[in-house]
This record gives sequence, structure tokens and C-alpha cells, in this order.
Amino acid sequence: MHIESERSAKRLVRLKVNGRWREDAVGQNELLVDYLREVARLTGVKTGCDGGECGACTVLIDGEAVPSCMVLAVRCEGRAVETVEGLLSQGRPSRLQQAFHEKLGAQCGFCTPGMIMAAEALLRRNPNPTDGEIRTALSGNLCRCTGYVKIVESVKTAAEMPS
Amino acid sequence: MTALLPQFRLAHPRSVSDAIATSQENAGSRFIAGGTDLIVNARHGLGKSSLLIDLSGIRELAEIRASDHGIRIGSMVSIAALTRDAATSQNYRAVKEAAEAIAGPGHRLMGTVGGNLCLDTRCIYYNQSEWWRRANGFCLKHGGDTCHVAPQGRRCHAAFAGDLAPAFLALRAEVEIAGASGCRRIPVGDLYVEDGSAHLTLAPDELIVAVVLPPNPPPSSYAKVRVRGAIDFPLAGVAVALAAANGVIQSLNIGLTGTNSRPFLLAGTDAIAGRPVDEKVLQQLDRLVQKQVQPMRTTIASAHYRRLAAAALACRLVASLSAAKEA
Amino acid sequence: MTIKLDGKARRQGVPLIDGIDKVTGRARYTADLEHADALVGRILRSPVSHGEIVRLDVSKALALEGVRAVITGDDCPHTYGVLPIAMNEYPLARGRVRYRGEPVAAVAATDLETAEKALGLIELEVRALPAYYTSEDARADGAVLLHENKPGNIEREVHHGFGDVDRGFSEADLVREATITCAEVNHAQIEPHACLADFDPLTGRLTVQSVSQVGYYLHLMLARCLEIDASRIRVVKPFVGGGFGARVEVLNFEIITALLARVAPGKVRMHLTREENFLTHRARPQTDMRLKLGMRRDGRITACELHVVQRGGAYAGYGIVTLLYAGALLQGLYDIPAIKYDGYRVYANLPPCGAMRGHGGVNTRHAFECLLDRMARELLLDPFAVRRANLLHAPTRTLNDLMVNSYGLAECLDKVEAASNWHNRIGKLPRGKGLGMACSHYVSGAAKPIHWTGEPHAVVNVRLDFDGGVTALTGAADIGQGSSTMVAIAVAETLGVSLDRVRVIAGDSAVTPKDNGAYSSRITFMVGNAAIDAARRLRTILCEAAAQKLEVPPEDVDCIGEAFHVGGGGQSSIAFCDVAKAALVNRGPITVTGTFTCPPEAQGGKHRGGAVGSTMGFSYAAQVVEVTVDEATGLVTVDKVWAALDCGHAINPLAVEGQIEGSVWMGMGQALSEETTYADGLPLHASLLEYRVPTAAESPPIEVHIVESNDPNGPFGAKEASEGALAGFPPALVNAVANAIGIDLNALPVTPDRVVEALVERRRGLRLAAARRAAS
Ligand SMILES: Cc1cc2nc3c(=O)[nH]c(=O)nc-3n(C[C@H](O)[C@H](O)[C@H](O)COP(=O)(O)OP(=O)(O)OC[C@H]3O[C@@H](n4cnc5c(N)ncnc54)[C@H](O)[C@@H]3O)c2cc1C
Ligand code: SF4
Ligand code: FES
Ligand code: FES
Repeated sequence: MHIESERSAKRLVRLKVNGRWREDAVGQNELLVDYLREVARLTGVKTGCDGGECGACTVLIDGEAVPSCMVLAVRCEGRAVETVEGLLSQGRPSRLQQAFHEKLGAQCGFCTPGMIMAAEALLRRNPNPTDGEIRTALSGNLCRCTGYVKIVESVKTAAEMPS
Repeated sequence: MTALLPQFRLAHPRSVSDAIATSQENAGSRFIAGGTDLIVNARHGLGKSSLLIDLSGIRELAEIRASDHGIRIGSMVSIAALTRDAATSQNYRAVKEAAEAIAGPGHRLMGTVGGNLCLDTRCIYYNQSEWWRRANGFCLKHGGDTCHVAPQGRRCHAAFAGDLAPAFLALRAEVEIAGASGCRRIPVGDLYVEDGSAHLTLAPDELIVAVVLPPNPPPSSYAKVRVRGAIDFPLAGVAVALAAANGVIQSLNIGLTGTNSRPFLLAGTDAIAGRPVDEKVLQQLDRLVQKQVQPMRTTIASAHYRRLAAAALACRLVASLSAAKEA
Repeated sequence: MTIKLDGKARRQGVPLIDGIDKVTGRARYTADLEHADALVGRILRSPVSHGEIVRLDVSKALALEGVRAVITGDDCPHTYGVLPIAMNEYPLARGRVRYRGEPVAAVAATDLETAEKALGLIELEVRALPAYYTSEDARADGAVLLHENKPGNIEREVHHGFGDVDRGFSEADLVREATITCAEVNHAQIEPHACLADFDPLTGRLTVQSVSQVGYYLHLMLARCLEIDASRIRVVKPFVGGGFGARVEVLNFEIITALLARVAPGKVRMHLTREENFLTHRARPQTDMRLKLGMRRDGRITACELHVVQRGGAYAGYGIVTLLYAGALLQGLYDIPAIKYDGYRVYANLPPCGAMRGHGGVNTRHAFECLLDRMARELLLDPFAVRRANLLHAPTRTLNDLMVNSYGLAECLDKVEAASNWHNRIGKLPRGKGLGMACSHYVSGAAKPIHWTGEPHAVVNVRLDFDGGVTALTGAADIGQGSSTMVAIAVAETLGVSLDRVRVIAGDSAVTPKDNGAYSSRITFMVGNAAIDAARRLRTILCEAAAQKLEVPPEDVDCIGEAFHVGGGGQSSIAFCDVAKAALVNRGPITVTGTFTCPPEAQGGKHRGGAVGSTMGFSYAAQVVEVTVDEATGLVTVDKVWAALDCGHAINPLAVEGQIEGSVWMGMGQALSEETTYADGLPLHASLLEYRVPTAAESPPIEVHIVESNDPNGPFGAKEASEGALAGFPPALVNAVANAIGIDLNALPVTPDRVVEALVERRRGLRLAAARRAAS
């Protein structure tokens, strides 16, 4: 079975980022969050903790919202990764982005990209979530500013907006 | 850059035998499933390994199959997939409830059944950064020679805190293990020993292929105590499977997690069989649990609390299952 | 899209002017700034709690390829700190370390791996000294002093007395005491600390971008510690992911990053881990309180005596102010005829404490509102009635000479009482369910700035140029609270233009006027008033220009809806842009300066420490908390919160609601789950897994009611809205738990283990009592 030689710590990885395929040499021990922030320069992806505890780094991988700080970038070969930057379509904010803006779902805004991505995955599979479903879906994303009240409201508002 | 992970390479076997062969050829290699435990620990400098064997490319490990022989859950089935599986949800409620109570939604999507069973044990002196542990002189479990929880003792008391194992224990599940010398099948309980620094009985080149839940399970349920409504590991977790007829207990199995270095099946429940669920039985159960759990000061919450909470949860679940049965 | 400040926007509020940047991921926080060419900075931290540095050898680290700078305490002989009278800390330890995690050395290298490797090559030898982790141990006879000039390891004692306390107690029908303790908590803002420093050796100029709440303090301390002329320093605040007080003080890593940049020389970025955030700390101290209250049968408080011990950590930081606030904020909420306060700030070998949302007042308020409720119960009085029996009447001055010009507490009480249906529900809930309430307040900015310079307390510049754009320049740091939006609204409202004509540039020392910063909820009151003042000056100029064109006296001209009208409108009018062009003729681009200064009568009493607590106005809050207590597991669930806050006037109701929700919820974190704990000085909680910030799952709905008392001096009548409601939550929760299960808890946070221990204790007590009865 094929294993790379000891010396080539980097490996070519092809993955789709926000709808575009790209290929980069990536360290085998490199985290997806670092790849996205440092290589793809998508700094909408945030880091708030030392691993898996805050959700600030949440992105979609094949449509599912996961913390990118626990994912090795090389394991994303062939997969589709979406970040908050990818939600803009033709320069227009998405429903969730619009709702988080209008309803003050973002105060300092630091948890916001991760929060919006977690909500995005929720709305794709459940277009009309209840408050409880929203809270469960966002329970891995910590926010220190809002007390979550206006975040839940924002997600509800987005769900009600015409798409 | 967020964190410095140790240098390692990845291997991507396509079959179980490939995975085992790779593991045999590379001493010090480890399997990686969802990575939600392994990567976080690696970021703390724990569980170093030069080669990670990625199990995600082995399709057969990611299947759930229901048959007359029960349900066979592949070790690479994600926790989220498990919560969505209709057959499990319907008949094995403890499994579903345990799965739903694991970490946060993102962890459940990435984390797997196998990884959850093989979760490293946890301790406030262990799940810390390299700087922290060095400043504390390390400890028995990793790099040092004393235990800060029980300095007089010779063993590590780090607690096993996976949520699924107690549910599997209570439902009498078995694990299928593949190794160099073939496959073996053992009760879930035999996967573990009471030792915080070596709690798994797996050989380094063995991997869990599947968990098999026997058919026609009794009603079951799972509950855990934790401070927050999500993310937190169980301070104590209890799964109960209770078969009763006309208000009389026929069989009672109770799996526990979070209190000891291994998840375990409560001994002595057969003594309760044949009796109705009443105050007396519950008191007896309360004592039984309190006697067998061995929480140590491995969490910020007190050990005494974890003992009381485990017993309280066990009694509550037994009471509610027996009430539901009658309703 | 034009944002008009019409009736609807006034009623509901407007989104933040920088909101779109945040929701699209475009907003750049410090760690997001371009840093491809920057070196990576890392800090070596002391592994011991207390000791003398015997040897510190960095030669091997310096020799490592890729290392560009290694610095130690030798590189900076200057102390730094937030209080000019109490700077006893070096950015990098010199000679002695006093807590585990204290910076000892730092490196800048080409990449993280090299930087980490270099840290490992630094040789540090420390001769350990006895270390103290509790106030009691630190104060014990014979304890080694952390700071030679502070006997008994006491940083500061405060002894204040107002009115005749003895008489007060003798006039009381009920006198009770409570001993209450609050655990240390942390801000845990989601954005970890970060800094980017760029030193240009060719020009000698230093640019620092950091997560600071007060760029001005950072500027001062950089000049002091690096001995660089302040004019060669530029401090820029990028987007900041929350502060809550963590970033008011200059933090060691900011100075260290700048020191590294100068030595390297070049650009250095420093991103702290979450663990390092907890080691940097500067939050609310562990506090032991002994409170005694006297009460008449009708609920009138006759006297109050409070003894406070704060475990302040290893250095002074903000300590003296925190301690003074703890006493001063006993006042200003209720009418209390006699108050005695004794406070002690103690040094211990732990990360230094500092300011945190509700600075100094939160733990005091907790003890007070808990004991008040217990005494009400004993006197068979309703908790609302007791509070109402002690209301102030504005305008008034408190015993410690604080100014109260507006006071909406009575209305807050009415609101939450009605909204929660209190009277129909209290006492009628099933066992395990409970309602509790409490009140709280907070200052709208400290009326006396820490650095006395004689300057106005706030300055805003407003510019108008050929493009018709109005630009407000402010040094005030928007850290997510929406202060820039508030400035924009204040300017737009005053000028009569649409909100999106106004642009706000904030927090860049090269262009914005100095500001005292985002702390003590001062920005809306002070910067808001300065912004209005600036906008008025601009309006005067514009009205003159419009008057000339319209050939009427300037007094007859007004600007409404982007146009200048004569009289009440209707007649002739000119568009804003045309007036702007006319105003620029001969004069060129216009810059006006608006200021605000707190008058001397607002600056507090003449007694020592009397300036702390002084403010232009207090916000007032009341809240009701509903809980469910699981007696088997000890888990307390908050089902719902009703909160009302008097913010004078809600300039942006949407933002005010957001601030109230956030502060109530932060109070919930302190009440239920958050606490920092140490094992021999090593933090056991230094992650967001062990430091339990509540998740969305267990966080309750919060119903907010805004009360507007119209402060005579506030901008449009406004006061603060971000801190006042926090302190009410913990006592309301503890009171609700008492209502639910009949147990008065004396320690925060109310974690499941504490609840279960209390229940076990009660059962034991009942058993003992029964046994005694049986025996006798
Ligand atoms: C913040 C946070 C909170 C968490 N909370 C909880 C919680 O509440 N409850 C809970 O149970 N867990 C919790 N977890 C842990 C973890 O997310 C889950 O237990 C998850 O199921 C682990 O699975 P994984 O596939 O990600 O494991 P991995 O990290 O991939 O593996 C874990 C271990 O198992 C071994 N392994 C994996 N698969 C196999 C196999 N098939 N055969 C042999 N060995 C194998 C690996 O070598 C490794 O040693 C939490 C984690 C984090 C970061
Ligand atoms: S129980 Fe003891 S040996 Fe085990 S991890 Fe904790 S401190 Fe180390
Ligand atoms: S950065 Fe906190 S979960 Fe990924
Ligand atoms: S908006 Fe600041 S952390 Fe969520």
C-alpha cells in the first residue's frame, strides 16, 4: 500500500472551495482552518479556541457544518468546502447574512461566520426550524455577546424570507 | 497558523485488511476515524504518532445493517448518522439518546462510533497543554511517574467519558474486532479494563469493525449529567435497559460512564429481578450504584457529586422506564 | 439603500453600520490582517508560581536559524499598568516571577515551528518561593510578600463610612448577616488576543494593531516601555471580537510584540492561544463578602455594613479601582441612610485580575440582593415591595456624593412585575420551580478619567468635504457594542441627514482624536454628547450658508430629511449637497470639533477614592428569573428572564436590546456555570470546554423592556445600557432557586454539584434535628 516517503511532508490536494476547484500543496499535518485562512486567505473562518470547543471555525464540508479546526486539510481531497465568504451570490448577501445584519445577530461579529454556516446547514436540511431546533443546531457555536436571543431570531427571520 | 501539530503522515487504506497490514508494518501508527478526539489531543502534544491510518476510505465500516440477528453498526458510522437511523432510534432508544447527547452537532457529524468507543480517558491533569503538563511535572498517564489525583497509588484514574459505551453495555452489544490473526467478537465490556492509562484491551494493530446490537431489545434509555446543555462530556452517564412484565422486573441492565476509567455494567442487578419497581428497589439500586462507581477527582466537579448523580440517574431511568411500560 | 431615521428606525433601531462586514466575513480582526511577511512571536511563560529567576539563558534560542529576536526582562526596565499610581508589573518578568504563566521571555522567528523550538531552547532556572492561592493564605502571618512595599500582601484597604451605621442597626426591626462568596470569572470573549506590530528601522516609526478597547492607553504604554517618542507611534484598532473589560488595560503581550518588532526589526504577529488568554486574565476576582443589613418591618433599609476581600492576583492592575467600586456601588441604587464599607485587595500567586463588565459592582450587588430577599421573606414582605420601600427620588445625591439626575427603577420594577405575572404566580409554582428577582445599576462612564490631562473627557471631529460626505472621527473603540453606529446616529440626527451620508472612522491614532476608550460604559454618554456637539457646530455653519442662499436669518433655517428649509418647511428649501458646496466656498473642507466634559459636581465626593463610582448618570435595571431545579441532579435550568433597563433614552433600540440581552446572559454564565479554578496556580479551566460559557441549548429566552427616564444631561437623554443589567441576574437566580427548593445558596456559581451538596447538607440537618427531637 502506498505511503508517501518520510521527507515529502506536503501533498497535493484538490478540493472545491466556495464553488471553485483548487489544488494546493498542503502539509499532511495541516488543519483545514489554517489552509483556509493562510493559503486560501478566507479569513472569515475564525479560530476561537485550542481545538473543537467554540465553533468559530465552522465551515461546510459537503454541505455539513463542522469545526474546521479538527479537520486535516488533506482529508478534504475531492470534497466541497464552503465558508461564509461563499454565501454571497452575485455580490448580494444571503438570507441568513441579511437577517443576521438586520436583526443584530452579530454584535462583535467574531462568532458570526461560524454561526451563519451552522445555520446555513440547518436551513438547507430543515427550512422551517423551531426555536428548539435552531438552538440545538447552534449549540456547538459559542457567542459571548448576544445571549443567542437575536441569533435565534435572525435564523427564524432568514427562514421566513423569500429565497 | 492556529496550532502546531506534530509531524505525521497519513495512509488511506481501502479495506480492513489493508488497514491492519499498514498498522503492522508501522509501529507507532494509529487509526484515525473522525479525529475529534485524536486531533484535539495531538494539538496538546498527546498521543503522538508518526503515521495516521485514515479509516474513512473503508466503505464497509460506514454501514448500518439491520437483520434478524439484530443491528450491526459499522465503526465508521458517524454519531449523527446513528441518531438519524430509524431502526436504532425505534428499538434501541438508549443508543439514540446517548448519541444525541454527545458533544455538539459538528462533533457528531465528524465523530464516529468506533472513535467514541475508543475515546481516550480524561483528567484535568491530562487534558492540558504541553506547557501546563510540563509545569506540573507531567503524570503517570503521560510522561511522568506520579498521579496528581491519587499520589499514593500506582495507577491512573482518568475517567472514560464516552456516551455510547454504557448504552451498548446495557443492551448487551458486542464488538467485532479485526486483527492480524482474523476477526473476534467480544462483549463490549471486555473491550475495557479499569486502568486510566491503558483502558482498552485492543492490540495496537487491532481495529473495531462494528458493534452488534442483539435483536428484540428491552426498552432502554440514557441520561447524563453535565453542566451545560451541550458540548460537555458526561460527569456521569447512565444507560438502563429494563424488561418488565406486570410491573415486575424481568431483567435489568445498567451501563455507566464518566465515573470510572472504563464504562462498565453494574453488577448485582439480577438480585433485583423478580421484584416490582418500588421505593425499596430504587433505594437498593441507589446503594448498588454508589458502591460500584469509583469517581476520582479527575473533573472540576467533585467526585462525590458524580457518585450521587450516577445513582440518581440510574434510579430515575428505572422508574421512568417502568412507568412508561405500564402506561 | 438610504437609511432614514424616520419614526420606525427610531422605534426599532437600525442595524450596525459595520454589520455587513461582519456577516459576510469581510471584517478583518487583528489575526486576519495581512501577515504573510510578518515574523511569528511566541512567549515563554513561567512554569512556577513564585520564585526568583536565578538564570535565564537565551543564547541557544538566539543561535537557532530563523530566530530573529529573543527578548527578556532586560529588554524593558519599565513597569506598565492601567493606574498611574499602581504600575508594578513588567511586560517580561525581571528578577522574580509571581504567577504561573507570567511572561519571562519572548521570541520572534520566521515561522511558528521555529518560534516554538526556540522557546524550548531557552534555559530558565527559578528558585521557588512559597506561593499563595487564597486570600487567607496570602494574608497569613509570616507569609512571604509578593511585593516588598505591601505588608500583609494587601494591595489596598478601603474603609468608608457614611451616616450613622450603629444607629441604623439599632433602629432596625430585623438585622441579618450573610457570608457570600463569588468565584473568579473570565471575560472569555470569543476572539483570542492578538497583536501585529510593525517597526520600521529606517524611519523609527512603530505601528501597532491590536485588540485594544483603549488605544490611547496602549499608545501611552508603548511610548513608556519602548522609550519611543509618542509621535512616532501609531495605534490602530481593527475589528475587535469582544472585550468586556479584558482589553481596557494594556496587556503584556501587546508590549512584548512591539518590543520584538523593534529588536527584529520588522513586523511581528502574536496570536495567543485560548489557554494564554486565560493566563492573561484581568477579569473579575474571587470575592468573599460579609454583609449585614438592618431593615424595618415595612422593608425600609436602615443600615448596611459590607466587608469585602478580593483575591486580586499577582499584580496591581486595576485592583484599587475594582475595590473602590465594590464599595461605591452599594450606593446609587437605593436610598440607604447609613453605609459602612471595608474592603481588602489581596495579592496572590495567580494571574492578575482586572476589570470585567459591571466592574466592581457585580459581586457586591449579588450579596446585597440575596440578603435583601432573605430578610423580606422573614418579614413576610414581597421582594418587589421591599425594593419599592427603598427607592431614591431624582434628582438627588447619594451619601458618597454621587449624582442621580434620572431614575427609572420604579418603572423597571413595574414592567418586569407585570410581564412575568409575578403576583399571580409567586408562591403558586410547583416544587422545583421558582421565581426570583433583583435590581442593579451601573455608571454611564467614570466621571473622572484615570489620566488627568485637563483635556475634555471626549472629543469627536466631524468633517465635511466637496463630496457632501460627513465623516465623524472618533478614538472610541467599537468592540462590537455598536459605538460607531451610535456616533453615526447622533451626527445624522443632529444634522438632519440620512444615516448613510455619515461615515465613522474610529480608533486610528493617526487620524482620530484621542479617546479615553471603551470602558465603564462611557461612550454613549460622553462620546455621544461630543458627537452631538460637533454636529451642532457643523449645522450652524451649514445653516448660515443655507440662510445666505435663501436670504433669511440663520435662526429661521433647519435641516430635515437632507434638505434645508425655512421655518417649519413648506416654503423654499435647498438640498443638503448644495448647501454643503456653498459652505465650502472660501473656507474649503470643514472640520469641526465637538467636546464633552463632566462638570466638577459629577466627579464624586471629596473623600479618598471618592472619584470611583462618580458618573453623569446611572442606568437602572430590574429582572425576574424563572428556574426549574432538578433536585436529583442539582441541575438548574433557566426557563425565562424578564429584564427591564432604564437607559435614559434608547438612541438605537435594537442595539440597546442586544446589550441588555447580552449582559443578562453574561450574568447567567457567572451565576450558573462559569468559574476559574487552579491547581497550585495552574488553571484547570483554561479552555472553552472547562470554562463553561453557556451554549445556545440551555440559554433562555430573554424578554427585554426598555425604560426611558430621559436623563437631563445625556445625549438625547441617553445613559448606558451595556452593563447595568448584568449584576441583577446572579441574585435573581439564587433567589429563584430559594423559591424553588427552599435553599439559600451562598456561593457562585450555582453548579449542579453545589446544589446537590446543599441538598445533602439540608437532609443531614433535618435528620440530626429529628434525632435530637427523638432523644429529648
Ligand atoms: C469539545 C468536545 C466535546 C466532546 N464531548 C463529548 C461528549 O459529550 N461525549 C462523548 O462521548 N464524546 C465527546 N467528545 C469526544 C468525541 O468528539 C467523540 O467521542 C467522538 O465520537 C470520537 O470519535 P472520532 O471518530 O472523532 O474519534 P477519533 O478522534 O478519530 O479517535 C479516537 C480514538 O479512537 C481510536 N479509533 C477510532 N476508530 C477506531 C476503530 N475503528 N478501531 C480502533 N480504534 C479506533 C483512534 O485511534 C483514537 O485513539 C467531545 C470532543 C470535543 C472536542
Ligand atoms: S488520574 Fe492521575 S495519572 Fe491519570 S491522568 Fe489524572 S493525574 Fe494523570
Ligand atoms: S476554533 Fe474553536 S472549535 Fe474550531
Ligand atoms: S457576536 Fe460577539 S461572539 Fe457572537
